[in-house]
Amino acid sequence: MKSKQYSLKVFETTVGDELQFINFFESNYTLFKDHLIVIEGELSDNIRQYLEKKNLKYLNNVVLPKGRTRKALEEELSIENADAKFSEQMAKDELHKLENQLQNNLTVLDEMIRSGREVNIKGDLLLLNRVNSGATIKTSGNLIITQVVEGAIRCNGNFMMLTASPKANIVFHDVEVDNNLLEDRLNRVELKNNEIIITPVLKKEINWAL
Amino acid sequence: MGIVIAVISGKGGVGKTTATANLGLGIAINNKKCVVVDFDIGQRNLDMILGLENRVVYDMVQVMDGEANLKQALIKSKVNENLHFLAASQTKDKSVLDSDKVEKLVSELRESFDFVILDAPAGIESGYEHTIEFADAAIVVVNPEVSSIRDADRAIGILDSKSAKVKAGDDVAKYLVINRIVADMVESGEMLKSDDILEILNIKLLGKIPEDKGVIDASNQGKPVILDKKSIAGQAYDRISGRLCGQKVDMKDIEVSDAGLFKKITGIFK
Repeated sequence: MKSKQYSLKVFETTVGDELQFINFFESNYTLFKDHLIVIEGELSDNIRQYLEKKNLKYLNNVVLPKGRTRKALEEELSIENADAKFSEQMAKDELHKLENQLQNNLTVLDEMIRSGREVNIKGDLLLLNRVNSGATIKTSGNLIITQVVEGAIRCNGNFMMLTASPKANIVFHDVEVDNNLLEDRLNRVELKNNEIIITPVLKKEINWAL
Repeated sequence: MGIVIAVISGKGGVGKTTATANLGLGIAINNKKCVVVDFDIGQRNLDMILGLENRVVYDMVQVMDGEANLKQALIKSKVNENLHFLAASQTKDKSVLDSDKVEKLVSELRESFDFVILDAPAGIESGYEHTIEFADAAIVVVNPEVSSIRDADRAIGILDSKSAKVKAGDDVAKYLVINRIVADMVESGEMLKSDDILEILNIKLLGKIPEDKGVIDASNQGKPVILDKKSIAGQAYDRISGRLCGQKVDMKDIEVSDAGLFKKITGIFK
């Protein structure tokens, strides 16, 4: 293979007013006859005919690879490095936050949640009492409710534990949970591979006296 | 020093005003000095149910604004001299109330009566909040149906957050009155059982009142149904008034119809 490498002069422009464009090239013809002309935007037939008649070499709507100076390249590299460091730190912070949420942010409530009340919890919630019709519970973490729910549940944690609640409106990660799938005793509701899985925790009552 | 009881329900039309009138009269019959106050400003009804509509000269708002004194505005019932009544203003609206004025009026009434019963307006707006603000206890009136219970639940929630007593770290006593129970419908499962209602609302049961056609006629005539010894609702109000005055009155099971009772008895002999 035979190859050559050389630099060429490029003149980049847009058309705008056609008459002005033609006049400009007419007066600067000697300068541009050795340039490659790159034009952005629509090219009318009129302009094409003019450029071909004058035997000017032109390209329309192309992005040319431009050689950069060493200094510019070095600068870019250093910014990239800083970005990478920053995002690494961010990820660490996020992970730390998440760990905190999992370990320390458990709220325990033992009060009836009456109609009209909205309980908004960042982290996990253990609720030992009823949720009445017209009340809303929202958690960013896991949720365990040991009594009947008649209100609304919005949970975004890894799992929920609920008893049978035929009147409840339960939304787990933006997906409505079918109440009929909740059996009498505690049920575990979790998200696995974008699928909601409901498993009854105790199918049979254990008689500890035996 | 008397006790201040607010009669609340959240939902309208469940029988708050009827209950207020009957319990007020029932307490008076038990020889306690009692005043009933209509807090439903702009929509007063209690005067009609007590049969005192043509005797109202001054109303509560005029007393609060100093246009009349309390003695002038209090109306003594002809049926029982222990029962007094303070009317709501029919021309103003609920926005005329403010906390300081209400507190002054309530504490003045508390000085001179054994029982001060406040008839709250329906809803949970400012008028309701002012009624419960300085009450020591609340009687929650519900009908055995879901909308009434949800509204009562909301009203209790507001009571638990807005009452002056709760803000001071105390508890407001809450008692449930279930009104308009139809035994047949409870038995057939069409109407909520009182056990279910108690589980949802989680407050003490004060009494159950059966549906009774006589109540409407009694209200129209301005003679509270408690005066009618034969009326089953009247008898229920009589029992509740007794409980409020500290007597031990057994809870009567009105959720069993006569037919149901008959079935139960025949069941025993089978």
